[in-house]
Amino acid sequence: MDATIEVRGLSKRYGPTTAVDGLTFTVAPGRVTGFVGPNGAGKSTTMRMIMGLDRPDAGTALVGGRSYRSLRTPLCRLGALLDASAVHPARRARDHLRWLAHANGLPVRRVDEVIELAGLTGAAGRRAGGFSLGMRQRLGIAAALLGDPPVLMFDEPVNGLDPDGIAWMRGLLRSLAGEGRAVLVSSHLMSELEGGADHLVMIGRGRLIADIGVGELLDAASGGRVELRTARRQEAMTVLAHAGATVTAHGTDAVTVAGLDSERIIALLTGAGVTFSGVAAYRASLEEAYMELTRDAVEFQAVTGRVAP
Amino acid sequence: MTGSVMSSVRGGGAGRAVRAEWTKLRTLPSTGWLLFALAGITVAVGAAVTGSVDTADCVTPAACEEDTPRLALSGVRLGQIAAIVLGVLAVGGEYATGTITATLAAVPRRGTVLAAKAAVVAGAVAAAGAVGVLAALAVGRGILPRNGFTAAHGYPPLSPLDGATARAAAGTVLYLVLVALLSLGVATALRDTAAATTAVLALLWIVPIVTRLVGDAAWRERLEKVAPMSAGLAVQSTRDLERLPIGPWPGLGVLAGYAAAAMLVGGVLFAVRDA
Repeated sequence: MDATIEVRGLSKRYGPTTAVDGLTFTVAPGRVTGFVGPNGAGKSTTMRMIMGLDRPDAGTALVGGRSYRSLRTPLCRLGALLDASAVHPARRARDHLRWLAHANGLPVRRVDEVIELAGLTGAAGRRAGGFSLGMRQRLGIAAALLGDPPVLMFDEPVNGLDPDGIAWMRGLLRSLAGEGRAVLVSSHLMSELEGGADHLVMIGRGRLIADIGVGELLDAASGGRVELRTARRQEAMTVLAHAGATVTAHGTDAVTVAGLDSERIIALLTGAGVTFSGVAAYRASLEEAYMELTRDAVEFQAVTGRVAP
Repeated sequence: MTGSVMSSVRGGGAGRAVRAEWTKLRTLPSTGWLLFALAGITVAVGAAVTGSVDTADCVTPAACEEDTPRLALSGVRLGQIAAIVLGVLAVGGEYATGTITATLAAVPRRGTVLAAKAAVVAGAVAAAGAVGVLAALAVGRGILPRNGFTAAHGYPPLSPLDGATARAAAGTVLYLVLVALLSLGVATALRDTAAATTAVLALLWIVPIVTRLVGDAAWRERLEKVAPMSAGLAVQSTRDLERLPIGPWPGLGVLAGYAAAAMLVGGVLFAVRDA
């Protein structure tokens, strides 16, 4: 119960623009939930409403069953990194964490613990203005972990990070979920979540497009298709099409086959004397599955040119 | 998972917020410089003004009718700018850098945040203001007799223990605190450092500037009664009180009204607006 975010019918308008439109989803403990959508889909607005920074026009967002604004020690309930650049450039990193700790009555030793956890030990005495984006991200992570919260929320955490930083972030998110915490991570790039998220909440134009497990999504996008590799592609495609399959050529020697299972394909090709080098279940990429689901949302934006903030 | 850290949480909400705001204020280098400037300008300008007045310029020393404590404390007219900037930066700086998000994430209750900011800004300005005011009186006490303002001429040495001077000194410290709170309230409402600083400076100086252009004495007096700086600084007067447009404490009350209104408007907007 503590480690959840429940969003129910959440809506937010900015003037004539509807940023979030009746959004409902739950972030469950023990897994990384990817929060995906094109830029302007309403991800940041939703996160700001969860934290009580912006007031929803309708609906509720609960953290561990309570509204954020009613929490007495919110840093112990939800840790968030919304904007890594939002630190005072003239303040030292340790002092930034120290005032946050004071605000929730946390012991100062906790500041040193999170500095070490985030890998900032050598830089804690420096002013945040001199930090690289990667170091600011680490400072933001340290701040999010300060209250050892059961729920964590990161807005585009790998934006601007180098490959080492991305790998570090991915490992961190995994280990936080592994400890039983609920972790919500937004991204506009599905590829960033490949191998990182267990569950996906996809939105477009402020509306829910899909709330689905990553495995389930990939199964659906793969659609029971089979990938065939053969040097004699034309002959293979003719044989399989005659047997009623839908075939699509891609790459130099690959064919994606829908409508026939592997065994049947092997039998047909062997019977016709067409050689092949491999037959395997087709695995769609997360990106591919995502593109299919969000196509409508993206098209709408391209046509009207109206993108929610 | 959360047990160890949460069980070590200490203190009540308001006390924690004040402690956080105090840490925030004292860990910015600008705070120290501003408080130093507040006291320093008050003393330096006070000394310059006091030093420029001499009984030799009057028919008789007594005819100068100089309000010497007021003279010694006149540096706050410029020193208050540091208090304005400090009050504005306390919240305007958070909007400029985006830390307001972190502040509201840690303390979601807007009223508590603003009250805590008001407490630490008031405390810091009161401390620096008291140092500046006492030092300005001490410096004035040294300068005045050399320019003929002696007890023999009806100008007793300045002392913060003297009734009227004590009121002027304490009132001047309160004046600085109220100006800082006015600035905090305006900055909370406007959420912009430059706009808030400009607005407060305009509010304080527009009437003193306009009254010079107003020929009609009755109108001038009316304006000085309701203007925050003219009315507020009436608290520095120690003689000829009956000739003032407004009494010392009622004058400070006018400024307190402006500060309270700014804090109220800022507080309401802070509570109802999206961060």
